[in-house]
Amino acid sequence: MKSDKIHVDTLVVGGGIAGMQASLDLANQGHQVALVEHSPSIGGMMIGLSKVFPTLDCCSCITTPKMAATAHHENIQLLTYCEVQSVTRNDDGFSVQVIQKPRYVIEDNCTGCRSCELVCPLDLPDVENEFGRTAHRVIYVPFTTAVPQKAIIDIDSCIFCGKCIKACPADCIDFTQTPQTLRVEARTIILATGFKVTPYDAKKEYGAGNLRNVIDAMMMERLLAPTGPYGRVLRPSDGKLPDSIAYVQCAGSRDETLGVPYCSRVCCMYAIKQAMLISGALPMADVTIYYMDIRTFGKGYEQFYQNAKAMGIEFVKGKVGRIVEDEDQNPIVRVELIDDNSRVAENKHDLVVLSVGMLPGYDTQPIYDVATAKDGFVQIPDSNVAPTVTTQEGIFATGTATGPMDIVDSIITAGAVAAEASAYMHLHSGSPAAPAAD
Amino acid sequence: MTTQDRVERKKRNEMLTNLRKQHPERVKISQAKLKEQRSIRKTLQQVLKTKPHTIPQLAEATGLPAHQVLWYISIMKKYGKVVETGLDEDYEYYLYGLTRETE
Ligand SMILES: Cc1cc2nc3c(=O)[nH]c(=O)nc-3n(C[C@H](O)[C@H](O)[C@H](O)COP(=O)(O)OP(=O)(O)OC[C@H]3O[C@@H](n4cnc5c(N)ncnc54)[C@H](O)[C@@H]3O)c2cc1C
Ligand code: SF4
Ligand code: SF4
Repeated sequence: MKSDKIHVDTLVVGGGIAGMQASLDLANQGHQVALVEHSPSIGGMMIGLSKVFPTLDCCSCITTPKMAATAHHENIQLLTYCEVQSVTRNDDGFSVQVIQKPRYVIEDNCTGCRSCELVCPLDLPDVENEFGRTAHRVIYVPFTTAVPQKAIIDIDSCIFCGKCIKACPADCIDFTQTPQTLRVEARTIILATGFKVTPYDAKKEYGAGNLRNVIDAMMMERLLAPTGPYGRVLRPSDGKLPDSIAYVQCAGSRDETLGVPYCSRVCCMYAIKQAMLISGALPMADVTIYYMDIRTFGKGYEQFYQNAKAMGIEFVKGKVGRIVEDEDQNPIVRVELIDDNSRVAENKHDLVVLSVGMLPGYDTQPIYDVATAKDGFVQIPDSNVAPTVTTQEGIFATGTATGPMDIVDSIITAGAVAAEASAYMHLHSGSPAAPAAD
Repeated sequence: MTTQDRVERKKRNEMLTNLRKQHPERVKISQAKLKEQRSIRKTLQQVLKTKPHTIPQLAEATGLPAHQVLWYISIMKKYGKVVETGLDEDYEYYLYGLTRETE
């Protein structure tokens, strides 16, 4: 049972890898933390990925223990399915109003057994986790490794047949729930609100989302994940095992027409990773990556790229001007081949993946009064010296809330933000750290 | 069933009826969706009863678009009604069959 007034040292907003790591780092130092996540589960984008570059570790295997550690830490209060409504500054820090959205399931009693989900008669497209490629029921546990493992009802689609009530062994269903207001008193706030991908239907030239076999890279992550919609890589138009798969790089970044002039930093690496994983899953398939430049900036990343080339993945320097489809819904990529005297070719593939970029996940200006930069990410005025300090005293930011970055950098900035917030609280508690001995 | 059980069940049914009355429009939309889903699932199951099929074969047999068939099959697989039984002879498509419990 959640108390309606919570006193903590730090309120962390966003339960992706950056928010979880910052919470754990603070909690391990003895600070009290409340972690607010607006989805029904923590885990962020990372829990939806298949494997991670450059190690090719199974993403679920490394994210799930972090999610469990966050949920079970005695110094962390998890507030999932909650939204921050307002933030007021006071003498001690911040007074934050949080709304707990109703699950229509008594959270404390629910064991996540899914008996309700199995009997619920109506399927709804699973847009949140699977881009609508499969479905969940009206009552459902968000996904197999969700934390917390609690069911939730999409009340707007419920027909009130009562089957879930009969099936639930713990008497959890409660149609009378309404939004509840909680107040969190915190000395500091950390914004870890993450990113969303650039819309894959933004470009008319690439089919504007109307070509069934043109998908984005996040959808491909789900196809590659064993827990994904089909449990394997199949093309969405007809379930065919694709023989020829192409990637179009910078399909949402470095593009003034989309208002995204910057490089999203992870797309080259995730495309190479996915190409390698496809080669493993579909050994007979050809994978082509159409690119302008390949950016492999991190430790071990260039080697990763060279390994992909050695595996037979084809890298074609070219500018993709248009994608159309033939009568069998095979995408046809029209590309200007830069290394071939700018010859224009039309190549047929079974499946095309757009390497979409990163946009800010949330606008921090209205509620937190934290300035955002021109690109919409949290503004860090002194990024070379203090990469997690925002324009508002006592409010810090981490991970992709501050700009495109990969998991390694998100975790590094999470450690940095925890140290920054901890030092700030120490300085403002009137008990500065003892000077170090010479 | 004890008297108390009966009272509880009556109370529950009244509550559900009231909820349906409070939201008639959205309940109507969801019920229509449910009707459509039941009919499509039934049609697919009838075809699958004969022998395992690929997605395009199911599309042809039912007249439904292949992407829609794939959507239904992915859900039926997720909830244990359908399993992959192997590949077709060209190694292009998986074949799907009913699980024992569904047959
Ligand atoms: C297709 C693809 C593949 C990738 N593959 C890799 C890879 O292999 N290796 C790698 O290193 N990186 C990879 N990345 C990058 C990686 O996903 C990110 O670096 C990482 O997930 C960033 O974590 P985060 O916590 O900053 O953000 P997120 O994961 O976006 O988490 C933010 C969280 O905040 C929540 N939230 C947002 N707004 C609010 C709000 N207002 N209130 C409460 N909660 C809120 C969100 O629901 C979410 O849970 C990939 C990215 C993409 C798009
Ligand atoms: S009452 Fe609603 S959530 Fe419960 S089984 Fe029926 S449709 Fe599903
Ligand atoms: S609501 Fe009940 S039946 Fe559904 S997962 Fe929770 S405990 Fe199980």
